[in-house]
Amino acid sequence: MHKILLVEDNEMNRDMLTRRLQRQGFAVCCAPDGPSGVAMAAQETPDLILMDVALGEMDGWEATQLIKSAPRTAAIPIIALTAHALSSDRAKSVEVGCADFDTKPIDLPRLLGKIGACLQKAA
Amino acid sequence: MAISFPTSQAALNDLVDWFIPAELAADREMRKQARMFLISHLFGPFIGNVVPLALYILDPKPGFEVVVLAASITGFWIFPFVLRAIGHYYLLALISIQNLMFCILWSCFFYGGVTSPTLPWVLTIPLLAFFYLGSAPRLRLIVLGMFALNFAVFWGFLQAGYASEPAMDFAALQGLGLVSTVAASLYVTMMALFYAKVLASQGELETEMRGHLATAAELRRATEEAERAGAAKADFLAKMSHELRTPLNAVIGYSQILLEDAADEDDAETASDLERIHSAGHHLLRLVNEVLDLSKIEAGMMELHLEPIDVAPLLEEAIAQFTGAAEQGRNTLTLASAPDIGGIVCDGGKLRQALHQVLDNATKFTRDGTIRVSAMRSGVGRAATLLLRVEDSGIGIAEAQLPSLFEQFTVGDDSSASKYGGTGLGLALGRKLCRLMGGDIEVESREGVGSAFTIVVPTTPRLAVPNDRDDEKPGVPPDRFSRRLAAIAERKSPMIMTAAQTHA
Repeated sequence: MHKILLVEDNEMNRDMLTRRLQRQGFAVCCAPDGPSGVAMAAQETPDLILMDVALGEMDGWEATQLIKSAPRTAAIPIIALTAHALSSDRAKSVEVGCADFDTKPIDLPRLLGKIGACLQKAA
Repeated sequence: MAISFPTSQAALNDLVDWFIPAELAADREMRKQARMFLISHLFGPFIGNVVPLALYILDPKPGFEVVVLAASITGFWIFPFVLRAIGHYYLLALISIQNLMFCILWSCFFYGGVTSPTLPWVLTIPLLAFFYLGSAPRLRLIVLGMFALNFAVFWGFLQAGYASEPAMDFAALQGLGLVSTVAASLYVTMMALFYAKVLASQGELETEMRGHLATAAELRRATEEAERAGAAKADFLAKMSHELRTPLNAVIGYSQILLEDAADEDDAETASDLERIHSAGHHLLRLVNEVLDLSKIEAGMMELHLEPIDVAPLLEEAIAQFTGAAEQGRNTLTLASAPDIGGIVCDGGKLRQALHQVLDNATKFTRDGTIRVSAMRSGVGRAATLLLRVEDSGIGIAEAQLPSLFEQFTVGDDSSASKYGGTGLGLALGRKLCRLMGGDIEVESREGVGSAFTIVVPTTPRLAVPNDRDDEKPGVPPDRFSRRLAAIAERKSPMIMTAAQTHA
C-alpha cells in the first residue's frame, strides 16, 4: 500500500481529500502547515507528497525546497496543488523540483492519474 | 485702480503680446517687464513727439535740433519690432534708456539748459528704467552709470558754451513748458495706469491660484476617500468569495464522498438524492463565482495575469471538458483548429473562462446538432488578434434579443430559460473578461439556424480600462468585424467560409 503525505492548511479540504484517497487504497498522513510537513516527510518517508502551495508563513514552494534539499527525503516525488492554472506556477513547480502540478478544486480522477504516473516513475 | 475696457483691453493685450518672443513670454516676471516696455514704446512716441511738434510751432526758426529730436523719439517705434525679431530684451531696454536720456538732454541743451521746459522728462528716466529692468542690482548700476555719463557729457557741452540762447521769447518758452509738462505727466500717468493694471491682474492670478490649490486639496481628499471605499469594497469581495466558497466546497466535497459511498453500497435512491445536492452545489458555486467575478470587474479590481500561452492545448482541454455535455444533448462537438495556431500573451485563465462560457451556451441551446470550434489569427503587429469561434446549429437568437444578449440576467426569453436552464450571467461575464484583455465577444445568429460566437483577443496585451461598461466598445465594431471575417474567409480559411454561408 502506498503512503501519501498531504500538506494542506484547510481542515475540511484535508479531511475530504484524505478520505477520498483512503477509499482509493492509499495510506494517508496529513500536515497542516509547511514546517510540520517537512518534519513529517522526514519521519514518515511517504511514497508521494501532495503539497498545497498556499500555506501560511512557510509556503508550499519553500517546504518543497526544504524536503528536496534533505538527503533522506530528496527522492520523494511531490505534486504541487495551486489555486490558479498559471504557467508561472507551473514554471515555479519545476524550479523547486516538483514532479507534477495540479489545480484546485481537486478533480479526483485527474489527480489519481498524476499520482499513478509519479509512483510508477519512482518505482 | 484697474482700467477696464474689456474689448479694447483684450485687443491691446493681443497687440502687446504679439511682440513678445516665446522664450520671454514663458517667464512671468520677464513678460511683465516686456509688456511695460512695449506699452511705453508703442504709445510713448505719440506723447513724446508733442514736444518737437510744439518746438516746430513755437520756435520762429526751427533747425536741425528739432529734426534730430523728432527722429530719435520716433526711433522708439523700431524697438518692439527688433524685440520680436531678435529678442535680447535687456540690451534693447538699455539702448532704449540711452536713447531716452539723449532725447531729453538734447532738448534741454538746445532749449534753456538746466532751466529748460523739457527738464521734467528727466523724471521718466528712473521710472522707465525700473519698469523695464525690474530690481536687478547689476542693471540698476549700469543705468546709474549711463545716467552719470550722459550728464557729464551734457555738463561738458554746457561748460564749453555750445548752448545757444533759444530764439524763442518768454511766452513761447512758457507755452513749451506747459506742453512739455502736460505731455510728461500724461506719459507717466499712462505707464502708472498700465503698471497698476498689471499688478491687479497678478492679484487676480494669485487668487485664482489659491482657488486651484483649494480645489486640488479637495480632490485629493475625495480621491483618498474613494480609495478607502475601494479598498473596503475589495476587502469585502475577497472576504465574501472566501466565506461563500468555503461552505459550498464542503457541501460539494462531502456530497461527493457520500455519493461515492452510496455507489459502493448500490444505494440508488440515496445516490440520486445526493446527486441532486451535489449538482445543485456545483450550480450554486458557479453562480457565486460568476457574481463575484462580475462584481470584481465592475469594481475595477479584476487583475490580469498575463503570460504566454499555447492556444492548441487550451482548445483541446476545453473540448475534452465539454464532450460530456455535448453528448447529453446528442450533439457532435468538433475542433477545427489550425495545428500551427501557436501561442499568444494573455490571461490564460480568463480566456479559458470566456471560451467555457461560450461553449456552455452552445451546448445548452443545441439539441441533436453540431458544435464546431475553430481558431485563427487576424491582423498584424499591434492589431494582431486571435479569433476563437464557436458555431452551433442550435435554436439561434431572435434579432430583437441580440442587442441585450450580453446584458446580465438575459437568457433568450423566459420560456427558453426554463427549458434550457441558464444563469444569464455567463455571456455577460465572458464579454467583460474579453474586454478586460482588450478584446471582445461578437455574435452572429439566425433564429432556428444557429449561432456563431467569436472571441477576439489581442495576441499581445492591449489593456482596456478595467471599469469597462457595456455601452463602450473597445473591440471591433460588428460591421467592420463581419467584413473583416468575410475578407479573411475569401483568402484564407475554408472553415470561416462555411460560417459566412450559414450566417449570411
